[in-house]
Amino acid sequence: MNTLRMLAIGTLLHAKQISRSPFEIAIALVVPVVQATLAVYLFRSSGEQHRLLEAAVGAGVMGVWSSVLFGSGGAIQSQRWQGTLEMIMLAPRRPVLVILPITIATGLTGTYALLATLAWGRLLYGIRLDFAHPVAFVVAAVVCVVALGLFGLLLAATFVLMRNANALANTLEYPVWLVSGMLVPITVLPSWTAPIAAVLPTTWGARALREATSGGPVWPSVGICLGISLLCLALGALSLTHVERRARAAATLALA
Amino acid sequence: MKTLRLMTVGGVIAYRALFNWTTPGMFIGTLLIGPLFQLLFFAYLGRQLQVADDRFYIVGNAVLTASLACVFGGTMAVANERRYGTLGHVLLSPRSRTAVFWGRVIPYAGNGLLIAVVTLSAGALLLGLRIPVGAVPGLLLAMATGSLACGFFGLTLGALGLRFRDVWVISNVSVALLLLLTGVNVPPSGLPGWMTAVGEWLPITHAAEAARRFAAGDGLAAAAAPLGQELLVGAGYAVAAAALLKIFEFESRRTASLDVL
Repeated sequence: MNTLRMLAIGTLLHAKQISRSPFEIAIALVVPVVQATLAVYLFRSSGEQHRLLEAAVGAGVMGVWSSVLFGSGGAIQSQRWQGTLEMIMLAPRRPVLVILPITIATGLTGTYALLATLAWGRLLYGIRLDFAHPVAFVVAAVVCVVALGLFGLLLAATFVLMRNANALANTLEYPVWLVSGMLVPITVLPSWTAPIAAVLPTTWGARALREATSGGPVWPSVGICLGISLLCLALGALSLTHVERRARAAATLALA
Repeated sequence: MKTLRLMTVGGVIAYRALFNWTTPGMFIGTLLIGPLFQLLFFAYLGRQLQVADDRFYIVGNAVLTASLACVFGGTMAVANERRYGTLGHVLLSPRSRTAVFWGRVIPYAGNGLLIAVVTLSAGALLLGLRIPVGAVPGLLLAMATGSLACGFFGLTLGALGLRFRDVWVISNVSVALLLLLTGVNVPPSGLPGWMTAVGEWLPITHAAEAARRFAAGDGLAAAAAPLGQELLVGAGYAVAAAALLKIFEFESRRTASLDVL
């Protein structure tokens, strides 16, 4: 119970902190809306009017991923810049319990992107929010956000070791958008990308949302997404413990 | 001649200083691999939606990838001087600050050209686009023009950093808008008139058009008009950047707010 309370309060604290950054909010709201607009005009140009809602949802998930990717890297880096990384790593709890709220919070603030693209599509382009499975869509959205947050934890374990984590984040944005099938169906990609896509929680999260939007078996995708994200949690926890021990032994936490 | 030396040597020194944080691995990851995946993302999206052919997406996005280094580089040229507390020293220089800052754009434009060339080569190889050998000089010219115009666009945004606290919001949003408004990913016929009209005043729009004409095997005569337009857009941003820097420098001195972040 104490652990859950700590995770909830930690997530709320970091979500509030991120939500007070004009930069984070502007990027979370404006950039996904621009991408959604681009997707809408592309789909319209190809005569795929019936897939506009799918395009808006896809652009929103892209925004959630960007938020988690840059947030997880940026959060650790900003703790380092603020000089608070050592303090939070010194907390008498497992490192995973201290870092997890940060990455979940980045996923949570990423939902601004999903909501913004849906609202933008509805208000400006008159896209009707006719989800095939509305309840499943909400469940899938929550699972997707949590799953991406847990995936962010695994990334954060890597980011702790890197001085320029943001550079790695810059590299990973488009590949994950592409391979996860957020806007481009996986079927049009080369076959060698399929195994990579299959192990990414982003693929199953995006798929669950797409199936909830346009119809299809949502729950298997939700289940697989949850399964992979729990694996990410376990791997992230192990990595963080290893990284913390290594950083303490070498006294490089603030310098890594 | 002295001004030219100031622009070139000063630009190179500033480029090296501002890139002191990076390593070859980071450079390759951020500025070469990231843009290549951007090209692949839109090329596959284009293939799936069949809005235009591969050449449209590969050549257009290759030219656009220069914007990453040029817009952020141009912005950094001013904003990072302020962040690291060295802006005052630059503004105290007895030489023309316009020449100093214009010189900053040159290495970033070179960087943008390198990214565009690498992205186009890799994208064409991976997706099987054949580019006529005779088109290469023209493509280089188009990409260089686009990079230079983009660099001055970035410098204009950087100049706004003397007035606005968080110039990175403007840069990030601008780079996203370039994806939409330059007609690189959605053909102008698929965009509303006002978006196309705004795109006409942005860098990359005309350079991408010129590059597509070169890649299609058309000669310089066919690409001369968009190339000229891109040059004009670039020159416009160069003048705008110089004017904004002058105005904001004067205002910063008057209100003693030069280093106020």
